[in-house]
Amino acid sequence: MRNFLLFVRRFFNLILFLFLEAICFVLLARTNSIQGNDVMSSANTFVGIVYKKQADVAYYFNLREMNDSLFNENLRLRSLLSATKTVDTLKDSTASLPFTEIDSTHIVHYADYVFREAHVINNSVIAENNFITIDRGSNQGIQKNMAVISGCGIVGEVVHVSGNFSSILSVLNVKRKVSAKLKDGTTGFVSWENNDPNMLVLDDIPGEKKVYRNDSVFTTNYSLFPADVLIGTVWKRKINKKTNQQILFLRSATNFRNLQYVYVVEDKMKKEKTDLEATHKDGK
Amino acid sequence: MNDYLKNIFRFLLFLLIQVFVLNRVELRWWSQPTGFPLFVPYLYPLFILLLPIETPVWALLLIGFFTGITVDSFSNTAGMHACATVMIAYLRTNVLNALLPKALEDYPDQSPGVKNMGWVPFLAYALFLFLIHHAVFFLIELWTFNNMGVLLLKIVASTITSMLLVLIYLLLFTKEAR
Repeated sequence: MRNFLLFVRRFFNLILFLFLEAICFVLLARTNSIQGNDVMSSANTFVGIVYKKQADVAYYFNLREMNDSLFNENLRLRSLLSATKTVDTLKDSTASLPFTEIDSTHIVHYADYVFREAHVINNSVIAENNFITIDRGSNQGIQKNMAVISGCGIVGEVVHVSGNFSSILSVLNVKRKVSAKLKDGTTGFVSWENNDPNMLVLDDIPGEKKVYRNDSVFTTNYSLFPADVLIGTVWKRKINKKTNQQILFLRSATNFRNLQYVYVVEDKMKKEKTDLEATHKDGK
Repeated sequence: MNDYLKNIFRFLLFLLIQVFVLNRVELRWWSQPTGFPLFVPYLYPLFILLLPIETPVWALLLIGFFTGITVDSFSNTAGMHACATVMIAYLRTNVLNALLPKALEDYPDQSPGVKNMGWVPFLAYALFLFLIHHAVFFLIELWTFNNMGVLLLKIVASTITSMLLVLIYLLLFTKEAR
């Protein structure tokens, strides 16, 4: 026992060093798991308040860009609305018939979304996995794994939630891919190559598929994002000679550098869907 | 000024600069679309380097851990900064021992600085520990040896930029003896 105490006293610094490093690695390992840790993230209340104070000051300087982006979004939504509301008599083929006139029994009601607006109070685009902090939390109904979109395109997924703040893993990360599709329905996966916040990469598109510059890429039904949200536009394409598949470089639709406000999307049907999938897994 | 107050003030100063200024600056040395990786210079390890010379190692380790965890909370990287900072806090005493001409006990109530070490030894001390800090941090961040080139570029570029900031800090806050 005495020898043990002497040993501890002799190597106390080394033991403390190893102990602290072990704590660091436990923290590191836990951030990669599903439950994550909310304490050491910008979702924690203290850090949230500091960032909020800073954002309140910086908010004023970005009003012009914010106005412009809201204006553009309004424009887009208005044109979308007019497309579904009015009947164009010049093109009255079945394909362009307004959606609302289809018999209600044929509409498959597969998702019911609730949108909540939130103000971005901290943002990063440089790290390997980038996080965005918003000023809405569980008190305002935000939960983990909700999708987050902006007026222009996809943004990310909620990973940490506290009372009044939450942090979002943005699409600019190397951990998770987003399933995506081209206009004609060819699907693939969008990832980020961690060097340019404006550029995303779409893999797994067959080589013979004709893709043009500035073609749009949307989200699919399979991911946690609502379907048909814009991800980006094709900027340049490359063919992987070995697998004869195309690699498309996309210009991201969302400007991650000056993100001001976002929408957190709650999918009301999601629980039903995951429950159903869980029973299927158990039965196997 | 009291030593404790001075160090607490310095901690807050470095934290504010790191979180609100440096973490928002995306640096890239030359702008090719897919050439050079983006990186951030880290100045806060300087706080550990400037703690009083006599600080015992266990205190250095705990202060380093606390500093790292605070920076981690602000940048959503639980454990990464803490790991790197604890590492340099542990190595600090040995490096100082090697670089200072006298034993550490002969420097009561002093912080390592240009005045008691000289320019070259202090810069060597800072360069070595910053290099270790950045190497550990970027290695944990990338968590792979697949793109060694990117890793090395990031470490070297970030260290040089951090050292420039350290130099600016020294030029600003070193009082000339008259």
